[in-house]
Amino acid sequence: MTTEPQLETVDMMLNMGPQHPATHGVFRMVLKVDGERVIDVIPHIGYLHRGTERLAEVETYGQVITLFDRVDYIANLNNELAFVRAGEQIMEVEAPERAQYIRVILAELNRVASHLLFIGTYAIDLGAMTPVMYGFRERERIQNLFEHVTGARMMHNYMRIGGVKSDVPDDFVPWVRQLIGEVRKGVEECDKLLSTNEVFLGRTRGVGVIDGPTAVSCGLSGPSLRGSGVPYDVRKDDPYEIYPYLNYKVPVGENGDCWDRYYLRMLECYESLSMVEQCLDQIPEGPIMAAGRRIARPPAGEVFVHSENPRGDLGVYLVSDGTDKPYRVKIRPPSFCNLVGLATMTRGSYIADAVAILGSLDIVLGEVDR
Amino acid sequence: MTEQDPQAAAEAPKAAEAPAEKPARHGPPIVVAEEVLNERGEQTAAQLASTLGTLALDSAGRQDTPWARVAAKELHAAAKKCRDGEMGMDMLNLMLAVDWVDRIQMIYVLYSTTNNRKAILKADLPAESPSIDSLTDLWEAATWYERETHDLFGVDFPGNADMSPLLLYEGFEGHPGLKSYPLNDYEEW
Amino acid sequence: MNVTLSDAITLGVQLFALFNVAALGAVSLVWLERRFLGRLQGRPGPNRVGPFGLLQPIADAIKLMSKEDVAPGSSQRLLFYASPILVFVPAFVVWLTFPLARDVVVRNMEMGLFFFVAISVLSIVGLVLAGWSSNSKYAILGGFRAAAQLVSYEIPIITMILIVGMLSDSLDFVKVVDAQATVPFIAVVPLAFVIFLVAGLAEVGRTPFDIYFAESEVVGGPFVEYSGAHWAIFFLAEYVNTFVVGILGALLFLGGWRWPFGADLPQVASVALLMGKAYFIVLVIFWIRGTYPRMRIDQLMAMAWKWLIPLSFVLFLAAAFQLKFEWPWWVLTILSLVILVVPVIVQSRKQRNPALALAARYAANAVVVQAKPRPAPASEDVAGATPAAEGTSP
Repeated sequence: MTTEPQLETVDMMLNMGPQHPATHGVFRMVLKVDGERVIDVIPHIGYLHRGTERLAEVETYGQVITLFDRVDYIANLNNELAFVRAGEQIMEVEAPERAQYIRVILAELNRVASHLLFIGTYAIDLGAMTPVMYGFRERERIQNLFEHVTGARMMHNYMRIGGVKSDVPDDFVPWVRQLIGEVRKGVEECDKLLSTNEVFLGRTRGVGVIDGPTAVSCGLSGPSLRGSGVPYDVRKDDPYEIYPYLNYKVPVGENGDCWDRYYLRMLECYESLSMVEQCLDQIPEGPIMAAGRRIARPPAGEVFVHSENPRGDLGVYLVSDGTDKPYRVKIRPPSFCNLVGLATMTRGSYIADAVAILGSLDIVLGEVDR
Repeated sequence: MTEQDPQAAAEAPKAAEAPAEKPARHGPPIVVAEEVLNERGEQTAAQLASTLGTLALDSAGRQDTPWARVAAKELHAAAKKCRDGEMGMDMLNLMLAVDWVDRIQMIYVLYSTTNNRKAILKADLPAESPSIDSLTDLWEAATWYERETHDLFGVDFPGNADMSPLLLYEGFEGHPGLKSYPLNDYEEW
Repeated sequence: MNVTLSDAITLGVQLFALFNVAALGAVSLVWLERRFLGRLQGRPGPNRVGPFGLLQPIADAIKLMSKEDVAPGSSQRLLFYASPILVFVPAFVVWLTFPLARDVVVRNMEMGLFFFVAISVLSIVGLVLAGWSSNSKYAILGGFRAAAQLVSYEIPIITMILIVGMLSDSLDFVKVVDAQATVPFIAVVPLAFVIFLVAGLAEVGRTPFDIYFAESEVVGGPFVEYSGAHWAIFFLAEYVNTFVVGILGALLFLGGWRWPFGADLPQVASVALLMGKAYFIVLVIFWIRGTYPRMRIDQLMAMAWKWLIPLSFVLFLAAAFQLKFEWPWWVLTILSLVILVVPVIVQSRKQRNPALALAARYAANAVVVQAKPRPAPASEDVAGATPAAEGTSP
């Protein structure tokens, strides 16, 4: 049988534009589709580029902390922690233990809040409108605590090079203990509602698969990488602050699909809550700021520090020239690197899957564009 | 010298704030940090030295991360040796460019998920028409890093298939990451 | 046949009353859905506009009517403006045959069920035209999806209606309700009710089958280019259709206005009983909306063609055998429960149990990090530091 000339088709370019309910911020995805199948995806970023790195060169170290708050505006305290540790390394000071415990408690609570936001928005991307309400209710509790401790619900500007800005209030420990119980119940509610729901499983299992070596080559990190079976967690592999003194588990997935990435974040919520409990048991009395010179005029040099953000491995490369302003601050945003894997994950899936895959990467555009 | 907060320093009169590239007019002389490697860093430095051999022009390191400076032309070969050799650097963790006004320094932070070691490769590029071979054939993460560096610093990466602007838009003139880019006098309209 | 003026006036009054009933029912559904979903999600729902937010649908209507009427320049104007009407009119025309009580009906036809099926299919044309005439990629995608989905799910609905017709030996609504005097059909063929509900959800376009106008994916599907009053017509048609599914379920499966109280109820009570059952089904529909994510279009089509249609044919055969061999009615109940259990087990084995196992495995195989012993906390840090030293914050 002779092969007939194929019907001439043109691939359609479907634009999921910067304004779209499902793209988690100003992110533009151009999908090259053939009917319902995606052939290629071309991401366009840069809509939220604010020049953070360049601004950091003309601001003092204390002011740069506020810039870092806004890089990943959902996990603020984790960003602050990364930069503040870089500053401490280059100034060769160490924060006192109490300050480290406070930092880790707040950072882990912020991780839970960030994952709750992820669960809610991922569910609503896929059409389930209830987990977002439950998730945000728990986030409110956590943000109330942050307001009590740091003075702000979101852009905290709380950590300093050498410690934290001010000590926690007296009712901090009982408040946090009660908070952990309430948040844990909320997370369980979202878990029971969503994780083994038939329709949810059908939307996320086997969708957006990326295997371990490709993921590592693309530079993925965090739950997106651990979903593919690579047990890389900065808290475990390159411990910092008081993480060596905590018992915790790092869940690792096997299949590298959307459900794995989602469920690992769910498990991490539970782990973070138990870490906070351990910190509350161990937190010592003491100073919350390193003694000595407070003016941030570090010696000249370069330092690279990375920490585990909810989204992955946030790296800060700090170049100092000896003045009170950094010479170069480079932020390694986990979402930026995770997006490199988007094309590999999305090729060959349906249009509706593109939304599910993008959601499962849990990107924050403030971080991607800086 | 009074002890001030980093915040209070911000509130100091504006006259005291010098632009970043000039040395501070007040305060103690600039101290250069001594770069000391800890034990793990020494091991990694030894591995790095044996992997790179003569390619490393100089090297040092801080804490557990050694760095080695190579010539710009040799960077691709050096990175390939780091990836394929005993170091097994399978992840390009970070790539950045630092604008020291007379030259642009490219810094590559490599990480090995199997050995859990970090190493840094540095290469110096001339300030006019900086160009270095692309590493996209070694790590896919390099694609976006190189596009971003090209946008912000004007570094060319022959070998990268897609150099369209990533963070900036088509038609943007200038490279904002460079120190010579006017930060305050910038006018768009 | 002679149509006198008084006939025409009576008909006009009846149609007006019917239109009001249907429209008020749909509007009440708008309010009910928002309050009910709000309570499910732990929030109050609309409670500002009027007592208990009862005037919220009116506020919505005013807002939608007052919006600017924008149409894409390259759209086919005539079809663009005609499509909402094509979707809306069948939703109301089917109300002609619904008896709200024995004698509260505009025209009770002997082929009432058939009339319903025939007319309700017409709205598919309107949806496809809406998508096509908007001349926008998202709209076209949505229109195609809508056509595929709606046509596929017509078959289970029609089969279920056929089964009800067989069991009650008539296609007349009043006779169907009378046949459920002692036992409602939901007890006779529970599986038919389940299939009817699922297919009805897909026909109306409700979660989990609302992908063709899903907000987070195709942003409105065939409705994306419509604004203001035109979109309000689609919106209203969707709620009228939901109400129709409720009323139909109440009439066909829950015993209508008769069961369990018998035929001697006053008319008002009959209507109230029917409405109560219809609202119950509607609340179940809203409950499903609040719980489930959306299915993808290919999964939706697979569910129709691989599950619902074969199951409905098997059930049809079972009902036919029961009628032919004159078995007692509960044999059909047992048969349909047995048939229902099969897909539940298959789906559990295929999706849910592996996921549960995977979840347990990830929790168990997590990499454990042991705590290192903490060095004895120093009683004093660097000399000169006071405990809880306050930083001078700006």
